[in-house]
Parts: sequence; structure tokens; C-alpha cells
Amino acid sequence: MKTTNNHYDVVIIGGGVVGCAIARELSKYKTSIAVLEKEDDVGWGISCRNSGVVHAGFNYKSGTLRAQLCVEGNKSFAKLCHELDVPYKKIGKVIVAQKKEEIRELKKLKTQGEKNKVGGLQIIDSAELKRLEPNVKGIAALYSPETAITSPYLLTIALAENALRNGVSFFLNTKVKNIVKLKNSDFRINTNKGEFTSSYVINSAGLYSDKVAHMVEKDKYRIYPCRGEYYVLDKNASWIINHLIYPVPKAGTGGLGVHFTPTIDKNILIGPSNEYIKQKDNLSTTSQIMKMLSAEAQKFLPLISSRDIIRSYSGIRAKQAPPSEGGYWDFVIEESNSVNNFINLIGIESPGLASAQPIAKRVVEIINKKEKLSPNSNFNPFRKGILRFEEQDEETKKALIKQDPDYGEIICRCEKVTKKEILEAIDNPLGVKDLISIKYRSRAMMGRCQGGYCLTRIIELLREKYHLNPQDITLKGEHSSLLTGYRSDEVKIC
Amino acid sequence: MLKEKEVIIIGGGAAGLAAAVACQEKGIEDILIIERNAYLGGILNQCIHDGFGLEKFNSSLSGPEYAQKYIDQVKEKKIPFLLDSMVIDLSTQKEVTVINRQGLQHYRAKVIILAMGCRERTRGAIGIPGARPSGIYTAGVAQELINLKNYMVGKKIVILGSGDIGLIMARRLTLEGAEVITVAEKLPYSSGLPRNINQCLYDFDIPLLLNHTVIDIEGNGRLSSVTIAQLGKRGGIIPGSQRKIACDTLLLSVGLIPENELSREAGIVLDNITGGPQVDERGQTNVPGIFACGNVLQVHDIVDNVSLEAEYITEGILDYLQGRISESQEIKMTLGAGLRYVVPQKIFTIKDTIFSFRVNQPGKKKTLVFEEDQKLIKKKYFPRVNPAEMLRVKLSSSELKDINKLKVKLV
Amino acid sequence: MERKFVCIICPSSCQIKVEYENKTIKKIIGAQCPKGEAFVKNEIANPLRVFVGSVKVTNGNFKLVSVKTPIPIPKKYLKHIGKLTHSLEVEAPVAIGQTIALNLLNEKIDLVATRKVNKIIN
Repeated sequence: MKTTNNHYDVVIIGGGVVGCAIARELSKYKTSIAVLEKEDDVGWGISCRNSGVVHAGFNYKSGTLRAQLCVEGNKSFAKLCHELDVPYKKIGKVIVAQKKEEIRELKKLKTQGEKNKVGGLQIIDSAELKRLEPNVKGIAALYSPETAITSPYLLTIALAENALRNGVSFFLNTKVKNIVKLKNSDFRINTNKGEFTSSYVINSAGLYSDKVAHMVEKDKYRIYPCRGEYYVLDKNASWIINHLIYPVPKAGTGGLGVHFTPTIDKNILIGPSNEYIKQKDNLSTTSQIMKMLSAEAQKFLPLISSRDIIRSYSGIRAKQAPPSEGGYWDFVIEESNSVNNFINLIGIESPGLASAQPIAKRVVEIINKKEKLSPNSNFNPFRKGILRFEEQDEETKKALIKQDPDYGEIICRCEKVTKKEILEAIDNPLGVKDLISIKYRSRAMMGRCQGGYCLTRIIELLREKYHLNPQDITLKGEHSSLLTGYRSDEVKIC
Repeated sequence: MLKEKEVIIIGGGAAGLAAAVACQEKGIEDILIIERNAYLGGILNQCIHDGFGLEKFNSSLSGPEYAQKYIDQVKEKKIPFLLDSMVIDLSTQKEVTVINRQGLQHYRAKVIILAMGCRERTRGAIGIPGARPSGIYTAGVAQELINLKNYMVGKKIVILGSGDIGLIMARRLTLEGAEVITVAEKLPYSSGLPRNINQCLYDFDIPLLLNHTVIDIEGNGRLSSVTIAQLGKRGGIIPGSQRKIACDTLLLSVGLIPENELSREAGIVLDNITGGPQVDERGQTNVPGIFACGNVLQVHDIVDNVSLEAEYITEGILDYLQGRISESQEIKMTLGAGLRYVVPQKIFTIKDTIFSFRVNQPGKKKTLVFEEDQKLIKKKYFPRVNPAEMLRVKLSSSELKDINKLKVKLV
Repeated sequence: MERKFVCIICPSSCQIKVEYENKTIKKIIGAQCPKGEAFVKNEIANPLRVFVGSVKVTNGNFKLVSVKTPIPIPKKYLKHIGKLTHSLEVEAPVAIGQTIALNLLNEKIDLVATRKVNKIIN
């Protein structure tokens, strides 16, 4: 599609998993699309910072969008990951009851799940639980074989890269300041990087979707940040559990309870906590919560030791339910009823990841009803990610090194990531240079030594590729430089 | 295709180099050192301060000079080594898989010497709460960035941990023009050598805050402050002692962890306290023919002891290669009061044995006692002991003669 | 005046107490050898330290050569020498013991290399 200046048919505000899924879905049609993302990279809001669980769909009230879209998303997730070359594993989940009263809750969840058309749900007794999970303490459980895990950041990146390849323009470091509805019914979107105009605006701004909505319509939505802290365990502890382990959820809280997630990379996540906080960007971890997570871990998995902890981090949920209420409101996926062609995605928290593609399809439907979109015959659903050397068999490894000796240099020793993979991560299609972006794409620095061995090497590779000065190497965003310059720069004596 | 070797040494740092030279001097010819860096010498390359070699060479050398003494010998003796080569797999059958730019290669050796050294404990592992901005480094990484890459990490530094690496970096950073605001140490005493406290902190008026730790980190992008607090007798924070310090860099010197991932894979039993393999009087692990020395076995404070330890195990290695190790009953060893650990953890045969220890806490006028039941075998007096200083005591085979069990304690 | 020192001459790290007035020493307690006594005398009158730092190398297999002063220098010059090293540069190859700088600050302070640096052939 042709664009004049910065005019696009559709501007998507927010490059999280939902925004990128929408971008990709729309690129299946002949439309010009731009994604405006305020951070250096996609997914830095909520999308990269959750448990990566592809929920089966029994946790949600029947008839809600959360229930429908989650089940739809779960069923098509394997295909999505296959197309995008993103890791996926149908690992299954057990919701573990430790008290008799909790079994009633398990049965309710099973019934709700079956109503939502979730397959394979079973209540299992302590003997079967022991067989599935010998190290977990519990008296019964709800077993959900359809629950899966993926890499939430690789998925977000893959969606973006595929959308990019299919013609979507990405504007990173682009923060929307205000939006004006023009007389010709287009929108003028003012950002720190200049003006855009568009026929449609899709507000997928996550934690700030309320703020973006208020740029065009009256105070209707409010997003309350609810933080969840996590511990990450060393891979050496991964033998302790085989499935996702959840407690029975408690009503009126902000989350699903502290659970134990085997990640697709074979770490275990403990968390998240749930705590309503004041600031939307406060990603600090706190000692009280960290103590609580350790205590919860001990309750269900006494074999976990604090020595296994390699890192903690946090993510923030975009909740519509106020702190006094807790719990969940349903997804808002609708065209504004006061402003034409302005589509709001509000309150996309769990199961937002599983539901991302169905949400995107719903948005396309909304536009299609009005525009009669014509298909883009050049759309290519496939995207190739960075080949993981460590996962290949020996013959393949030998062939890879022969073809490119950069595969023979292991830079991240803990995760066995080669120089080739890191170079590919550095040379990413979106052109992002932050260390955290290289980390997400290559897995380097995610191991037990947390970059102790590979950081200096990655800095050299980054500098070489982009001809950066030492002080231009950033961790995450422009104010996060690692170095002040060369050691031999001039100094004043203090 | 499997290449057979007599001795493979994993790691070409201080321990690996000394082991290689000592093995060659004992007549072992077929040796291969496998090193992941582009150069030999390991961590010594970035330890540019002096104080190395006081015992081995009677001089105060820098790390690189100390390493060069062994590198020169390796080259003179034409001991083969691979650089830029990572061992990615070690099996119980003593098979080693190596990856480098030339390809993937399998080796099998009669003897494997583990000399992989250690890694640093991280912020994530000790769980300091707060934000995760840039500007937080472990001391060794900062040392590498400054001493090998010519980068500067920051301008206003707080250091957590008064171990030697932290102290050395306090001085280094000061001499390179940064301001080191304070060194915080959670214990009531410093874990560094006294001469380092003198030369690195007192010399530059850098305050050492004992019984203090970092309890919060703030920074939007780059670090902007840390909050330190005083710890009470039971380890809890003393209310009201919190103090926020504006800074742009936090250096962590909070412990070293022997790098035993490969050892785990080979089914080697590790010691929970040292973090390294359990070894016997020969330096042999529970897998026959796999030996360990240097920081991978136990974290050392003086490199001369690393070299001595590497030399010591070559006797046992020769015993093994020449079939002199036979099945024997374990002589049960128990650790008494006052000691954190002892290496070796097991004894099977009586021979001249070097025991390495660390004490639990600092003390004066202490005696190390070796006994069997109530019978005294040997004792050694130390005017001053410190957890930061490894103790080494040699017991001769005649002193250990006829014992069935051994207890070691500090009184 | 009284001051406690930890002697840094050898790993014994003797704890030595010194009673002194201005720069005149009255009593030394705890030194176990003459080197220790000499050390504390110096610490009071004119503390000396070996400077350790780095200097840039061109065309070497290491970017920096580690350097030190061959003899201890007055403590007060340490930071100045540190600053001076920033403007120095040496061409590879560098041998251990090679003189990198002479008579810095006009105080007869020299710097010698403490690392072997090979020349890289491009």
C-alpha cells in the first residue's frame, strides 16, 4: 500500500505481543500498517515479563472473551509457534489441592473448563499426583494436559519480525504525545519522533492503554498496575517438577497464585506474586515478596533450595479491577463508541499471551466489517528464528561449524550460545542494540553466571557491528549505559 | 572419531598450567591442555596487582608475570594446548567433547585433571531487592573490563563485600580516577587479607562498613543509588540504620563458586561446603582417573598454593597411570569444631598428605589438632587464624601410620 | 599519638602498634622482624607504595600492558601517576621488565611492564 508522508491505513500504538499479533494479522491484507512503540524494542512492557504459559482456558468464566479467546488461542498455538519458529511445549499443568476444601474448587474449575470446551481435564488423586509429580506435596489435583509453555519474548519478537517482513513499519523509541481526530475522520498522532496520520488507530498500549484512550475520549478506562515478582531457578533444579504446578486460586486477589513454571529453556520460575502498586513502571523486586515466594516454594516443593536461585525479576499486570476488588474483568476489545475507527484493547492481562492471535483476529474482524479488506497474496506466515546450536545433534553441529566457524566459538558458557547466534541477535531485523534485546534473542547472559563470562565479549561484538563508543552500549534504553568511556580517558583527580 | 590421550587438563589457568608442567616433569608426555580463552593464564591475566609468587618464586609478581613463568615452561617443554576451545561435555568414562572453530572433537583420556576455576556469585543469586539498572557488576567482570579492555565502568562506586577482589578493585578504581564511596561488608570482619585492607582502603580513606549490606537499589536506566543498612547480631536489619548512598556503580565481591558443571555431568560427587569435588589424599575424585586442583576444587586466596596443589596431585596421577592405586578401605575422617571444611574429604591410603582447611571465624592462638579417638596424631599452632586465609598442613605417612580413622578440629 | 598498623611486607601481617609525636617515633610494639620496624617507621615519616596500573598498547595481543613502579614511591603520588598512565601508549611487542616511562613527575618515578604482550600480525 502506498503511503504519503507518514500516513498509514492503520497505526498500532504499543508493540507488545498483542500489538505485534495485530500487526501480523493485518499484514495478511492489503493495508499499510505502522506500529509505534515507545521503548527501544518490542515487548518491553508486559509481554516479555510473564510466565510464558499458554493457558488451556478453564480458569475463566464461561462466555467471557477471556474464556473464548484463550481456548481458541491454545488450540492454534502450536501452529502459530511452528510458523514463527518459536519454542513451544505442551507440558501440562496440575492445580494442586493441599486441603480437602480445595478439592471442591478443583471440581468447579473442571466443570467450567469443560463448559469452555477445554479438553482432557481430569481430577487426579494423591497417588496419581505422586506418579506425575513425585516431589510435589498435595492431596489431589486438577490435571490439564492442554496447557503449554512458550517463550513470551521470542513470540513477541517473532510476531514483530514476521509482520516487518510482510510490510509492517515499526517505529521504535516513538512515544505518542497526543491524538487529534481530523475533519476527514483520519487521526493525527503526534509523537516525539514526528507526526503520523492514519485512518484507524489501534490502542494496544498495555499498561498505558487507559492514557492513550483518554487522548481521544472521555475518562472511561483505568488501568491499575499490579506487580508480580519472580525467582528464576538454575537449570540444575529442573528435575524437581515435570509440569506447571499451581495452587488452588484464591478469589479476590490480583493473580492466579504463586506457581511453579518450568520454562521452555528448562529453568523453573517461582511466582508471580501479586501486589497493586502506584507506579506503572516500578519493576523493583522487594524483600518481603521474595521471602513470601521462598515460603510458598517450601510449601509445595520442599526440595527447592535458595542456592538454586539465579535471578529475580518482575512484571506488571494491566488490571482493570481496582485494588479494593481484585480479581479479573473481561478483556475490552472494541471500537470506541464515541470515536469512530479507534479500537481499544484494554486490560489484556492473563491469558493475554495465549489469546494474542485470536484477539488480533477479532480486531481484524472489526475493521473488515467496515472496510472489506482485500487479502495480501504476498503474505508469508513463516519466519525463521536464530538457530539454537545447543539443541542440534552432533552431526548437525559439526556441519554448522564447518559451514561457519563462528558456530565453533561458545561465548555464553552457561547457556552454550555461540558467536554466530549472538551475531545474529545483534544483527536483528528490528535493529535493536540494547543488551537486553540481545539477551532475549540469543539467551546469552541468562545463565547462572548472569553474563559473568560473556558480557565483555558481547560488548566487543556490539561495538564492532555498530561502531559504538563504549558509553553508547546500553542495557535497556538510552539512560542505561554500561560504561562511562575508556579507562584511559582524561580524568580529574579527586 | 575419538582421540586418545594420556592426560587431559581442562583449563589453562594457574592450576592447569602448574599441573601440566609438573606432569611433564614426572615423565608424562602425552598431555593436552584445553583452554577456552584466546590465551593461557586464566584469571591471572587480569590480576595486574602484585603479591603473587612470594612463596614459589621469592618475589612479588603481578598475575600476568606469574602466569608467564608457567606459560614459558609449557612452551619450552612443548606441552600441547588448545586455545579458544570449550569443553562442552565430560563423561564418567573420561571422554571429553571439545568445540572450537575447527569443529567438534571427542577425546578420551586415562587421566582428566579438572582445573576450570570458579565463577563469581551474582546479584541475582544473593537476592538484593530493588531495581535492575545498568551499573551493577561483579568485581571480576569490572576488573576484566578495566584491565583487559581499557573500559571504565563508572564514576561513583559502592562496593559490597570486603573480599580481596573487592578491595583490589577499590584501589584500582581510585587510581583510575573514580570515587569509591564506601565498602560494605555484611560480616563483622573483613574476608580480605589484612594487607589489602591497609593498601586498598586505609590508604585512600575509603570507609569500611562492617555489619552492613545493600538492601535496595534504585535507578532508572543507570544505577542512581543504593541503600545500605546495618545488620544486628541475628542477621536482621537494625531499624533506622538505613542510609541511601548516591552512586552510579555497585561492585559485588560476594563470593566465588567453583565451576563444576562439567564435574556434575561426569557424575562427580561434590562437597556442599567447598562447592568443589570431594577428593581423596591423591586429589582424585570419586571417578577413578579424574583429579581436581585449584579453584575448581576449593577457592584459594594465594596463587602459590594453587600451583603447590597442582604439583601435589601429580604424584597421585602417576600412581594411577602406573597402576599403583588399589582398592582400599576408607579411613573415616570427621571434621570437628572450628573448621569450615577440609580437603581432602576422604583418605584411602597412607602417604604424605597435604591437608587444606578454612576456619569458621577469626581467632587468635589456635591449635589445629589431628587425632584418632583421643590419641593425638599431630598438632600445629597458629598465632592468628582467619577464614580468608587457607591453612595447609602436611602430615607424613609415618605420622598417619596405622590409623583407622581421623578427626581434625580447631581448639 | 598512637596508631595501629598491619604490616604488609609479608603474609605474616604482624599487628604493630606505634607511639609517636609529630614524625618522631617513641615506641614500636609487635614487630617480629627488622623489616616490620622499618615499615612502620616509613608509614609515619614517608609512606611508600608500589604503583600498579596499565598503559595502552598498539598492535598487541592485549589492549593494555600492566605496569608498576619498580620500587615503592611516595603514597601521595599514586593518583597522579594513575592519571598520567592515561596519556601513555607503547608499541607491541612488550617484554616483562621493559621500561615504559621514565622520571614521571620529575620525581624519578619509572614504570616497567609486568605483562608480556606479543605483536599481532595482521
